[in-house]
Amino acid sequence: MKLLKYNKILVLALTSVLLFSCEHEEQPKESQLDYTSPVQTNLDKWITTNYLNPYNINVQYKWNQNTVDNSRYLFPPTIDRVQPALEIVQKIWLNSYATIGGPDFVKKISPREIVLIGGVNLNSVGTRTLGLAEGGQRVTLFETDYIERTNRANVTEFIHTIQHEYIHILNQHKPFDEKAWGAITPAGYAADWYNYSIPVSNEIGFITSYARLNINEDFAETAAMILISTKAEYATFLSKIKSPTALAALKAKEALVVKYFKEAYEMDFYALRDEAEKNTTAVINN
Amino acid sequence: MKMKNIYKYLIAGILVLQLSACSNTDAEQLFDENPTTRLNNQKSELNDALLSSQFGWKAVYFTDNTVLGGYTHLFKFAQDGTVEMASDFDTDTNIYKSEYAIQLGSTVSLVFTTANRIHLLSESDNYPIASLRAKGYLGDFQFLYYGQENGDIVFKANRNKQEIRFVKATAQDWADLPKNFLMIPNIIGKNAFGANRGLEIVDGTNKKTYDFNPFSTITRSTSYSDASANNVLGIGYAPNGLVVSPAIVVGGQKLSNFVYNNTDGSFTATGTNGISASIKYSNIPFVITDDYKVMLKSPSTAYGYIAANLATAPTNSALCNALLNEINNNLPSTQKVNRVQFTFNDANGDSYIAYTFTGGKTTIYHNITLKEDAANKILQLISGTWENNLGQTIPEPDLLKKIDAELTNSKGLYAKKEAFTFNASNKLYTFANANNNGFRLTTYAFQ
Repeated sequence: MKLLKYNKILVLALTSVLLFSCEHEEQPKESQLDYTSPVQTNLDKWITTNYLNPYNINVQYKWNQNTVDNSRYLFPPTIDRVQPALEIVQKIWLNSYATIGGPDFVKKISPREIVLIGGVNLNSVGTRTLGLAEGGQRVTLFETDYIERTNRANVTEFIHTIQHEYIHILNQHKPFDEKAWGAITPAGYAADWYNYSIPVSNEIGFITSYARLNINEDFAETAAMILISTKAEYATFLSKIKSPTALAALKAKEALVVKYFKEAYEMDFYALRDEAEKNTTAVINN
Repeated sequence: MKMKNIYKYLIAGILVLQLSACSNTDAEQLFDENPTTRLNNQKSELNDALLSSQFGWKAVYFTDNTVLGGYTHLFKFAQDGTVEMASDFDTDTNIYKSEYAIQLGSTVSLVFTTANRIHLLSESDNYPIASLRAKGYLGDFQFLYYGQENGDIVFKANRNKQEIRFVKATAQDWADLPKNFLMIPNIIGKNAFGANRGLEIVDGTNKKTYDFNPFSTITRSTSYSDASANNVLGIGYAPNGLVVSPAIVVGGQKLSNFVYNNTDGSFTATGTNGISASIKYSNIPFVITDDYKVMLKSPSTAYGYIAANLATAPTNSALCNALLNEINNNLPSTQKVNRVQFTFNDANGDSYIAYTFTGGKTTIYHNITLKEDAANKILQLISGTWENNLGQTIPEPDLLKKIDAELTNSKGLYAKKEAFTFNASNKLYTFANANNNGFRLTTYAFQ
């Protein structure tokens, strides 16, 4: 088997030639990519201090086509409108959860990114999309250019969006009792929810017309509406419901929300509501 | 196979492998530099260009010239990533500051990253016409860089690839921006300059004429048409005239900047070698059609001037309006002309003009017979008897003498179906005195 031996050597030699023959290739030089970080404006620094560092939330206010739906006619916020909008979100949403749920609550369960859009996201059917939550990671808030800080209704509508979207994020972490919820007003859900007025929807046990889209939206709307209302406002709202079945349904849903917050996150939902109310008043009066 | 042969083949195989392993793997270099370098170069090329112009850049942005016109924007870019901007979207022509960035999307692009005037074209809830609901003015603010041409920077909109051309701005451009609005009445035009408004294109030797249709300030658009086609034209305002898109192409030249002449109300774009295009007035029709032929035969047709809707139609000539006003002035204050209506070939084969009034005055009929001047494409209304609303023959009323003389003049009328509508969905027809004396009446077709 002499031949085999020679062959072995030959194979080894050839393989080594094969392995080393390309070694003279160029070594990488310095990167051509621009990795210098962009200039931080005062606004950027404020965001870092108030959102990124304490809550690990990135705020994107500059236009980035990858975070928006390009088929929509939207525009980025006016620079001067960004910080006031973020201050409202910080005060009413972040601070309320931090006080009631603990300082790290939102840091652990929160969207990793908030995208601000200046304009209205009008749908072709005439409705406005106020916010979007994508995969629990990114919340998009629209109409930031139109916030009037001293106007309670206006601030409430804006904060409604983040409260609503955050409920979705909480639900994505720990599901609510969908079976029990679905049994309360099973016949009221409708894809064309926008064709119904809010009073009509109230009288069949839905807190808003949008709540009629499906049980997830119903849960988020119920929780968010209670959070953005004062205790007195919500009591008045319930007292005006004429249908006893509708009233019972609304109360049953409220009870499920309270139970969810207690069981899933050990949080007193009413305390959270009161804290949000206090912070909303503080925002409007400052 | 023997072991010896197996090794032979194996060695041969390895040899082949080894020979090919170091073969030239470099793809043919189409460019001198690698993609990253080229993109970086493009980025800095664009940034340098944006910063290079002393008074910044001017762009008349036609977001979609099939429905909308142009909006003039002035930009002044700064090294620190900010941009100052003014536009003629509305009468607020002040300068505002915001941020911009050069981003890499499908290619290198200029993005206006925070809100400013350009974003007014992209407000979903602010749309000029119902069909643009949720789409605003179809505007974009991410412009893909397509290089430079004769000192201009050429972009295409990210969304619909509409071209946007940045031209070097002057100090005058910034100062004159508010003057764009002073041009609007001239673009709307006035019929005192002539009964017809047309677009005349001269290619050096030959002349081609079109009707230039009424301009809408809501969409900043209009159209020009001949007997065979209607061409939508977006219009942008300029201190000395107007800008059109798409450009009028004549003999390979693109004409888009029209200069206003206040003596005759015309706008002219001048090219080289005798090429020009002008939007002008004339009492002679720019387009003569066969649209009258349907009026000569059954089924019956009817066309009516309805004062409430059509008194302000731009296609009524000054002479026509004067004659209608004269009738109104000669009537008691409670009465006005309501309609001037043609009925051709009714069930009995009769044709007549009906003059109706508001305020209780009864209808007056003028019977006519129809004749055709086919060679000149003219419809002739031959005067017959006059009747009151009870069917009784009456003498020709003095009140209607002048306007009736225009309608029944011996040369006849040019009748034309218009390419636009006015205050109703009905088709519009105009009737003009074929003597080209400046009489033209606008009517609705009732069929």
